[in-house]
Amino acid sequence: MSGPWYLVCLLAGILCMLLLDRRFRLFFWRAPAAAVLVTLAGTGLLLLADAAGIASGVFLRGPATIASGVVLAPGLPLEEPVFLLFLVLCVMVTYTGSVRVLAAWRGRRGR
Amino acid sequence: MTYVLLAGGLLMVSVILAAVVARAAGRGTVRWGAVAAAAGVLVGLTVVFDNLMIRLDLFTYAPHLISGLRVGAAPVEDLAYPLALVVVLPPLWALLTRSGGVPVGDLLRHAFLVSRPVSWINTAFPFASAVVLTTHEVDWLLVVGTFYYLVPYNLAMYGINDVFDHASDVKNPRKGGVEGALLPPRFHRPLLWLVVASNVPFLLVLLVAGSPAARAAVVVSSAAVVAYSIPGLRFKERPVIDSMTSSTHFVSPAVVGLALAGARFDGGVLVILTSFFLWGMAAHAFGAVQDILPDREAGIASIATVLGARRTVRTALGLWTAAGVLVLAAPWPAPLAALVAVPYLANCAPWYGVSDRTAAGTNRAWRRFIWLNYGCGFLVTLLMIAAW
Repeated sequence: MSGPWYLVCLLAGILCMLLLDRRFRLFFWRAPAAAVLVTLAGTGLLLLADAAGIASGVFLRGPATIASGVVLAPGLPLEEPVFLLFLVLCVMVTYTGSVRVLAAWRGRRGR
Repeated sequence: MTYVLLAGGLLMVSVILAAVVARAAGRGTVRWGAVAAAAGVLVGLTVVFDNLMIRLDLFTYAPHLISGLRVGAAPVEDLAYPLALVVVLPPLWALLTRSGGVPVGDLLRHAFLVSRPVSWINTAFPFASAVVLTTHEVDWLLVVGTFYYLVPYNLAMYGINDVFDHASDVKNPRKGGVEGALLPPRFHRPLLWLVVASNVPFLLVLLVAGSPAARAAVVVSSAAVVAYSIPGLRFKERPVIDSMTSSTHFVSPAVVGLALAGARFDGGVLVILTSFFLWGMAAHAFGAVQDILPDREAGIASIATVLGARRTVRTALGLWTAAGVLVLAAPWPAPLAALVAVPYLANCAPWYGVSDRTAAGTNRAWRRFIWLNYGCGFLVTLLMIAAW
């Protein structure tokens, strides 16, 4: 089962996060410009951590057959920034969703 | 560096950033209960999917650099990634979406205009061409550096300038129109923060990736950007130093590029860089002539207010001539670039006898500069391709 399946899964994950975002107006569908900045900041921060990890030899690429094999920089496969983007979306959808859920609980208890 | 150190460092930086940003966002804007709930969910998801990804051989870790503490197959240090994000992003989100803050969309629109998109190429091109002519290949450092000198660098240069020039720009009818964007005061602080946030990460990468020479070039370049207009230094108000600093803004990206790419700074390279530097000084000096009267009224000094219109124009003509003559000493085909000085001299020569009273008229020549730069940049590019 070789092929860029990891990338396909990540893109599908991103799509799912965006669907949740859209359905509940959580992040991009609530404040698009702020969401863009938060996304850039989060992805940028973790890319710096990745760069430090690759440069110091902590992170090594595996021999996976489900990776595209495209490398952006030494030790940095194409999938990594896509994964970080997914992680940022996942974090923000989870956080803004938690805010909503906790508020709803509190509202119910208050009644 | 071990993974424990990296993960600990990442968490520490995130906590510090989160504390600073949360303070700026104001009390009660970050829902810490939701942060804790999200952290729990994300740790669970990470443990499950990290194990899956590691078992699929997507990545591994240098065994001697990790602590060895694992949850299943996943090193415990991996949890630093989601935890860092869930600590730092909610405060940032709270800051950017709080009621009463400046609308982020408007801030980004202003930032775009302030960064002078027409001039982006003037700093990205010297960097990119210096790297490519040295390495003859496209690598990640070229892409990252070119992007930096295309956008964030210009946002810093013109953003800092526009914020601290606001008071005097208000008095100048030329600014706030086509040739300069007046930034409303409530955007000043957010814009300066945007400058810091968009520049620091790139500068860190350039500083770490480069040799000591490249680091020195990056430091000089950034110092020139800040010193030009920040209160206390205000190099733009120190005659002659103003032209030299302005020229440094455009020459230093090329020097950074050469140093990062590991070029040898031999005679030919130094001649070309010096010629470029003189050209940049001439452009700045001539540009200052049109603002002599408003600058004097606002009590601002510049090379032109001190030398006077006529002497400044003649100095600029002299500098362009020197730039053209000097480049004749560079290795073939660089001497052909001497021809590029001619249109600049022709554009500026009609104001050889200008007076302070008629200085504002040089704005007509100044507006032609933008297009001259594109045309001459094209010619220089052809030369570079020929030299390849």
